[in-house]
Amino acid sequence: MSASDLYRENVLAHNREPRNHGALAAPTHAADGANPLCGDSLRMELAVADGHIAALRFSGESCAITIATASMLSERVAGLDAAAIAVLRREFEALLRGDPCDADALGELAAFGELVRYPARRKCAQLPWATLTAALNGAARATTEKDDP
Amino acid sequence: MSAGVFDQAARRADFPLLTREVNGKPLVYFDNANTAQKPACVIETVDTFYRRHNANVSRAVHTLGEEATAAYEATRDKLAKFINAPSRDEVVFTSGTTNAINLVAYSYAQPRLRPGDEILVTQMEHHANIVPWQLVCERTGATLKVAPITPEGELIVERFIELLTPNVKLAAVVHVSNVIGTVNPIAQLARACKARGIALLVDGSQAAPHLPIDVQALGCDFYAVTGHKMFAPTGTGALWARREHLDAMPPFFGGGEMIRAVSFERTVFADPPHKFEAGTPNIAGFVGLGAAIDYIGEVGIDNIRQYESELLAYATQALRSVDGLRLFGQAREKAAVLSFLIDGVHAHDLATLLDQEGVAVRSGHHCAHPLMQFYGVPATARASLAFYNTREEVDRFVAALEKVRRLLM
Repeated sequence: MSASDLYRENVLAHNREPRNHGALAAPTHAADGANPLCGDSLRMELAVADGHIAALRFSGESCAITIATASMLSERVAGLDAAAIAVLRREFEALLRGDPCDADALGELAAFGELVRYPARRKCAQLPWATLTAALNGAARATTEKDDP
Repeated sequence: MSAGVFDQAARRADFPLLTREVNGKPLVYFDNANTAQKPACVIETVDTFYRRHNANVSRAVHTLGEEATAAYEATRDKLAKFINAPSRDEVVFTSGTTNAINLVAYSYAQPRLRPGDEILVTQMEHHANIVPWQLVCERTGATLKVAPITPEGELIVERFIELLTPNVKLAAVVHVSNVIGTVNPIAQLARACKARGIALLVDGSQAAPHLPIDVQALGCDFYAVTGHKMFAPTGTGALWARREHLDAMPPFFGGGEMIRAVSFERTVFADPPHKFEAGTPNIAGFVGLGAAIDYIGEVGIDNIRQYESELLAYATQALRSVDGLRLFGQAREKAAVLSFLIDGVHAHDLATLLDQEGVAVRSGHHCAHPLMQFYGVPATARASLAFYNTREEVDRFVAALEKVRRLLM
């Protein structure tokens, strides 16, 4: 097992140079995701046109897993509507659990299948999804922390 | 309590777990402030207890009951001696420090506190020495106030003393910080408290495995320890308190073990310490704690202190060589705890990647949110050392850090 099973090259590359990083001038939707115990925070801003994501930007201070997930996610959901994103999110959750999932649909995000071996870090990859879902639903905040002491 | 020449390699070999590999690499266990590993003598004592002596304590007259009670109560004598308590009856067994502090909060503080009273803590406390006081404040109308620290992580003693105003009824201070290793000047603080008639509780969780403890010389009113950081099983710990406090305190839990006579009209409680020990305790665990205290005595707490302080100096120097590494807490009196971050690298990424190299460190807030807020960071990585750790392990840790830094930058 190498040090980079989880931190593989594309994950590290997305962390180093995240895609769609920054803010939108006129977002139609936005939400703040935070895992305060962990120390991850993430803001997502969307421009939704005719129910589809026309633009997405994210910012914040987070670990490499959260940033790389947000970066890959921002590319993957471009042009999708809320229903299609919900389907993808279910596939991603199945991936994290080690259950059968549609890896082709997830694309680069399938790299996080390694999180099966890192249960404590799953919430890091879940945070961008929860934040995106919150923004689409009109909720201001999201977290994926529950009972961390 | 000192025990002659310190053969570090032989002592390390007392800990079976330290020989295992993690992710194909020899384990470097640097998470001792979280919990310590157990020497074979402790593991074997617990094993032998269950194989040979297991019975409930303080109630059976049969042979096993007598043996179990003798072994269990022997730990009280050992612990009393270990912290130099004036009497074994002042040592109340608890499940750990958290339980001990809550006992003081409910049984000592709550009946005394009135609206407008204050409890003084410090900026560097563990949540276990914050939250019980907040809860008791909510119930009584008292308030919590906080003594500040310097950026180096030292308590500002003059400010602490200034804050000991007439409204303060209790002060609660950590002996050794679990995050930054600062050793607080407890004896000095205790003199200031005593001169003003203020009770002082000391959270000794991180001190007991690393420093000689003498509660009489410290001059505090309450001292709390936890067994699992002292190489003993989890679920063991103790509160030492001055006898007059224990006599005045009502029981926290009611049940068996803590009574002298019960009728439906009236219950007469046992004397301290049993008054505070309702229910069947973690008997095997406490027998294991006795073995751990004997073991620390064999190694010699002064040897431990000396070795760890040299190892701390070595590790501090080594970490300073890592580019972009920021150390949190550089107190002059410091235990072997190193909290750090590397510029641009999140603490959890550090910990996950170090684990891939076989190095176990903790990452996160270390149950000390207010201290994280003081430093303006959400989390740190923390290497906490014990006498069974070596310079060679420090070297492997630093090499792993360099590798992680290169990977993430």
